[in-house]
Amino acid sequence: MRTSGGGIAVAAVALLLGVLAVSQFRSQDVYSRSLQLETPSSLTTLIASLADKNRDLRDEIFDLRLRVTAASGSVSTGQFSLTEGERQLSQLRVFAAQDVIVGQGITVTVDGPFDEKAMSDLVNELRNAGAEGIAINDRRVGPRSWFAPGTQGAIALDGARVAGPWTIRAIGPSDVIFVAITRTGGIVGQFELIYRSTRFRVVKESALELPPLR
Amino acid sequence: MAQATRVQRQNLANGLALLIPALLFGFLVSAQWQTQLERSQLAVRYNAPLTEAARSLQDEQNTLKAQLADLRKQLDKIQANASTQTDATRSLQARIDDLKARAGLTAVTGDGVLIALDDAKQTTVNAKDVDKSICHATDLTDIVNTAWRGGAQAVAINNERIVGTSSVYCVGSTIMVNGTLMSPPFQIVVIGRQDQLLGAFEDPAQLRDIKQRSEVHGLGFRVSRATQLRAPEYSGALNVRAAQPK
Repeated sequence: MRTSGGGIAVAAVALLLGVLAVSQFRSQDVYSRSLQLETPSSLTTLIASLADKNRDLRDEIFDLRLRVTAASGSVSTGQFSLTEGERQLSQLRVFAAQDVIVGQGITVTVDGPFDEKAMSDLVNELRNAGAEGIAINDRRVGPRSWFAPGTQGAIALDGARVAGPWTIRAIGPSDVIFVAITRTGGIVGQFELIYRSTRFRVVKESALELPPLR
Repeated sequence: MAQATRVQRQNLANGLALLIPALLFGFLVSAQWQTQLERSQLAVRYNAPLTEAARSLQDEQNTLKAQLADLRKQLDKIQANASTQTDATRSLQARIDDLKARAGLTAVTGDGVLIALDDAKQTTVNAKDVDKSICHATDLTDIVNTAWRGGAQAVAINNERIVGTSSVYCVGSTIMVNGTLMSPPFQIVVIGRQDQLLGAFEDPAQLRDIKQRSEVHGLGFRVSRATQLRAPEYSGALNVRAAQPK
């Protein structure tokens, strides 16, 4: 069979088209966001996270069942109502960041250039790791807290200037939070690569005290 | 003339004879190369059971959340009945109700803005720009931050209420909010004063990256006024273990 220059050119274009068509088809796969497209490593992490959340839910369900049973049998005395109410109040005071709280946790010190987006990401990561209450310097982070750029390299938390060096205190399971944020590829490791002139120090604390939300 | 036509036909036949195998070869080479890149042998072997395990845990979580909501209602009912007995219990109940509302443990309805965030739908996106045309966990945290900054009273992402312990977490391309698996499209309910909220979202200094990706890479992002919105109560565990009020 004789081969002309035109034939080779057509073949080359066809080869290229074949490659491009598959590339395009593959790139559209990304949009489906199907779990099947995750790597085994990502799926394992997702499963661990789901299992943790489900364990927390089961613990709280177990606790609530006991409280509902006890409450059903003792409403007539009035005493239970006060006891149960005080217990709920104690839990809610922590959850709503309305009071001073104490407990174990970690301290993250950030000394050097940093910005509000990174601070927001750090708070998000601490919450994900199980932080029950967080404060930055002397200000508590609340359920509706927001971050914005501050003046002269500072950060604004709920509109108030919070200047560096920053001390972020988080009350919660100290071992779990420490490992979560200092692990290889974790948020502190990422910050160290991005903010090269900034020093990050993470310390486990046996007793921390956080102020209430202002 | 006839000779020239024959030569042309011969050339065309030769070209066509090469066209189909070349096209097929291109498909095979590219598909094989990309398959090896994206799906290792481990993925082939373990993805199906791992995916099934993740789905099963998410189903279990939905059931557990429903059970928890039911128990919370039962306890609230008992507590509310008992709170009418004395001034002390009435006062305590009022304080509990106030804290629950502040913490996001009660549903909120009202006017506000509705935000739609979605992966780009266009099919002409280059592989290198895919990252810019899909939603990321940080997009959601930026939107929530802007909502609070704009004075929002309540925020919910795909019916997950945002509270003081909420986190938006990304593993691979899967996003978790409050530990719940989610995928685009995202609908973010923001309840609050509409003008103030719209002012915050339309401020050119806010959400610059999302707005730019929306314009250039087709990321779906729309903010609109909405009435009678509902942000459900937080349905997860309170998880107060290490912290104690002083």
